[in-house]
Amino acid sequence: MSAQLPPGLQLEKTDERIMTLNVGPQHPGSGHMRIIVQIDGDYIVACDPDPGYVHRGEEKMAEYRNYITNIPHLERPVIHDSCNILYPYVLGVEDLLGIETPERAKYVRVIASELNRCVYTLYWLAIYGIFLGHSTMFMWPTGDRELFIDLLEKMTGARVTHAYMVPGGVRNDLPANFEDVCLRQVDYFEKRIAEYADVFYDNPILISRTENTGVLSRTDAIRLGVTGSVLRASGIDYDIRKREPYDVYDSLDFETNVLRAGDAYARSKIPWLDMMESCRIIRDALSKMPKSGSVRVKLKPNPKGGMESVYRRVESGRGALGCHIVSRKKPEPYRVKLSVGSFRNLIALPYLLKGERLGNMPSVYWSLNYWPVEADR
Amino acid sequence: MSVIAPNFRLSSFIRSILDNLFWIIVLVTLAGIPAVQIVLFYIEMPVIDGELLTPFLALTWLADPSRVLPIVKALMATDFFRIAVFPGFGLAALLAAGTIFVERKMLAKLQLRVGPFYCGKVEGILQLAGDGLKLISKEIIIPAKADKPIFWLAPVAFVGTAAAFVSLIPVAPGGWVVADVELGVLAVFAVIGFFPIITVLSAWSANSKFPFIGGIRALHQMISFEIPLILSLLGVVMLAGTLNLTGIVESQGSFPWIVFLPVGAVVFFICILAELERIPFDLPEAESEIVAGWLTEFSGMMYGLVQLGTYLKLYAFAAIFTVMFLAGWHGPMIVPPFPEEIITDGIVLGPVTATIPGLPLFDQAMLNGTIWFVLKTVAVIFFILLPRGVFPRIRIDMLLSLGWYKLIGLSFINIFIALGLLYAGVLGPGGVI
Amino acid sequence: MEQSQPPEATPPEISGHAALMIQRFPDGTVLSEDTARPQVLVPKERILEAAAYARELGYDHAESVTGVDYPDQNQIEVVYHLGSYTDDTLNGTILALATRAPREDTPKPGRDSTRLPSLREVFYSVEFHEREIFEMLGVYFEGHPDNRRLLLPEDWADLPPLRKDFAIKGR
Repeated sequence: MSAQLPPGLQLEKTDERIMTLNVGPQHPGSGHMRIIVQIDGDYIVACDPDPGYVHRGEEKMAEYRNYITNIPHLERPVIHDSCNILYPYVLGVEDLLGIETPERAKYVRVIASELNRCVYTLYWLAIYGIFLGHSTMFMWPTGDRELFIDLLEKMTGARVTHAYMVPGGVRNDLPANFEDVCLRQVDYFEKRIAEYADVFYDNPILISRTENTGVLSRTDAIRLGVTGSVLRASGIDYDIRKREPYDVYDSLDFETNVLRAGDAYARSKIPWLDMMESCRIIRDALSKMPKSGSVRVKLKPNPKGGMESVYRRVESGRGALGCHIVSRKKPEPYRVKLSVGSFRNLIALPYLLKGERLGNMPSVYWSLNYWPVEADR
Repeated sequence: MSVIAPNFRLSSFIRSILDNLFWIIVLVTLAGIPAVQIVLFYIEMPVIDGELLTPFLALTWLADPSRVLPIVKALMATDFFRIAVFPGFGLAALLAAGTIFVERKMLAKLQLRVGPFYCGKVEGILQLAGDGLKLISKEIIIPAKADKPIFWLAPVAFVGTAAAFVSLIPVAPGGWVVADVELGVLAVFAVIGFFPIITVLSAWSANSKFPFIGGIRALHQMISFEIPLILSLLGVVMLAGTLNLTGIVESQGSFPWIVFLPVGAVVFFICILAELERIPFDLPEAESEIVAGWLTEFSGMMYGLVQLGTYLKLYAFAAIFTVMFLAGWHGPMIVPPFPEEIITDGIVLGPVTATIPGLPLFDQAMLNGTIWFVLKTVAVIFFILLPRGVFPRIRIDMLLSLGWYKLIGLSFINIFIALGLLYAGVLGPGGVI
Repeated sequence: MEQSQPPEATPPEISGHAALMIQRFPDGTVLSEDTARPQVLVPKERILEAAAYARELGYDHAESVTGVDYPDQNQIEVVYHLGSYTDDTLNGTILALATRAPREDTPKPGRDSTRLPSLREVFYSVEFHEREIFEMLGVYFEGHPDNRRLLLPEDWADLPPLRKDFAIKGR
């Protein structure tokens, strides 16, 4: 019955050279998960990720609440990226209920989701910095994050848990002077993140530490089905904002960033490059946005879907984020499944860590753009 | 009407004051005076007005203030003072405390935040005291399967070894060094050699995985960096022609050795960073990989002791750098000479003339040397702290290849430079300069 | 979900990949003919062949695997959402390949008839998704090398939580 025992407790007879380390969940380098690594000297011979420490049953909870009251709790898996995680759900519900979103609301959604992407990426980058022992890179992004958090607070009323997206638009309109403030913050922010290259991305120690570690080749990236920055760092130009544009992304001017190396350095650089593109998108969207108009369609109370299922996806800070909603003519969805980028990237972790040095574990692990809370849902 | 102390009673207030007075008198008579007597008994007392001060007479400083200074001077001449206060532990601990404060504030400024701010009103100056108080009040938890005697011993031995290191450093001219060892540089290496042993013992005795990995890493790191550390100092030893640290400082009267041996200085500085486990070489304590490395199982004041030892060690290494390459206490005289007329005539304040025997307390050269030494050491400490703000941690294979290939090679180049200068007759014993 | 309608009598009238799938597997059902989101239900005996065929059509990874419990039909549906990174013509297309396993009222995960063949040999990326389905719905995947718990605690001894008869307290 050894297969029934929990993974950390298996009393298998192993080589005496092998040492099993429980990295997490109370380890400063693990996040809310556990990685069971077996090391031979300094080399990792096997790795078994054990997520689930923050599993909150969001999908089960969604079956008991109606389409609108699901919104505040479905954003909880990634509160830093709450607009993006709600986006596919809201798009799916709009498909189910047949709602047409006003044009201005689409732009507002795009701006909110790009701001949120920056907020998330900065937080991720901060932790990447401290995982590599670079405390300045922990403090700078956490400080600069406040810019966008303030902006989002002006926009939505809450600092992180916005619950801003609703089926049929957004919850409330932008404040009066939003455009000026936003442009000013974005200008400053672009200058600021350019400095990150000086202190972090061009740092010779960082480059020599992360280059050629945890290399994920193009074919393996496809085979493992990874997504987001991990995929684009392996040389596959796949961004859902370009490939399957939702809302108004097809009318906006931006590029996707692709690197070919597939190592931890490339994987950590893609989100940083993406932030610059986000700034571009925000500027473009602000200029193309209709200056007035409704941002929300009035819904019937307790709307019901048909007998169908929808699958919508968006590009979040961690990659493709899909939402599968099964509806059975009830005010509550019959089943909501969130297919999150973190969960899909997790499969690459044992693959990449095998044969790496123990010192590379944090850099490879966090370069997967993995957010334990989101993966557990 | 609100009153500040509603239950105030004058009688109980007076009684509490009298109570306190009573206990103070009792404690001073029963414990304080005997303690002072015992201390004074072991000090060689000076002769004042042709009369040898006995411990009993010494207590007359309470009645005659002019006898204070000779007693203080006598106290300063003791070994105890040297070990506990001036060139030894007191100075080192003071500098270490300053180092911690400066480190936190400087790092905070570098990272666009404020750092310690509230404790002690002025820029959080009392933060360290608060942290120390917290550490003392914490429970000490020992792993169930730890090898307890060794586990207890390790922090104490760590501080002890760091203090032994501190004791070898000459701070000011005139013999201001705790232990003036003839083979001072060798003694330094011998003391440094204890650190990996203590580290590995504590890591092994904790009987836990993360300390074990951390200890092994520390062992690898310290041993592989000790070799370039020793080799990089050989150049200085050759040119100075002595192993005595005081002698090495005295040999740098005209030029500090860093002018001729910059390669050795750089190698030595990098080795210091590695020996001290500072970022970018903090692998034995790499947080995201092995929790806190070999410090993982320490809690409460045991951790505090190890931290104290680490900062003492930091001061000692910076001081060795100053002694070896930056000419120790040498520097332009900035301290004004002690006014002669005070010694001869005493201080004249109108009708009163106070003659104070025992002045000056410190001589001019010693004060000047101390100031220069401290300034240089603080500068070196600053440079040791600086990388923490800008570098990530490096990996163990990079560390080892740096230590074994690059630094050893560079330190041999440094030795060749020194030998060249020596045989060309430019420097060294009997050299031109 | 109404899967009981018989498949179209003349399959070529349906366009897109749903049609291709149903031509190949006539015992399956087309749930949606949408070109961007074709949905096909295939009986569990032929799911491996269907997955292999989807791979031939250009789908190279699984984006999401959803398990849906249908207690009224006594079945558990598992939906594989397949996408493609390599084929540019399949940019916005996600093929939903569904199959159904029998459901038991008193589940003994791993030891009852709620079994499906694992698609891990065809699409490597379903590994963790199938583990999640196993613990959440009790569907045992035959041929999966690692049918262990993933998210739930090790001492979970209740029903698989995403089954409909597992009720949240107070709701």
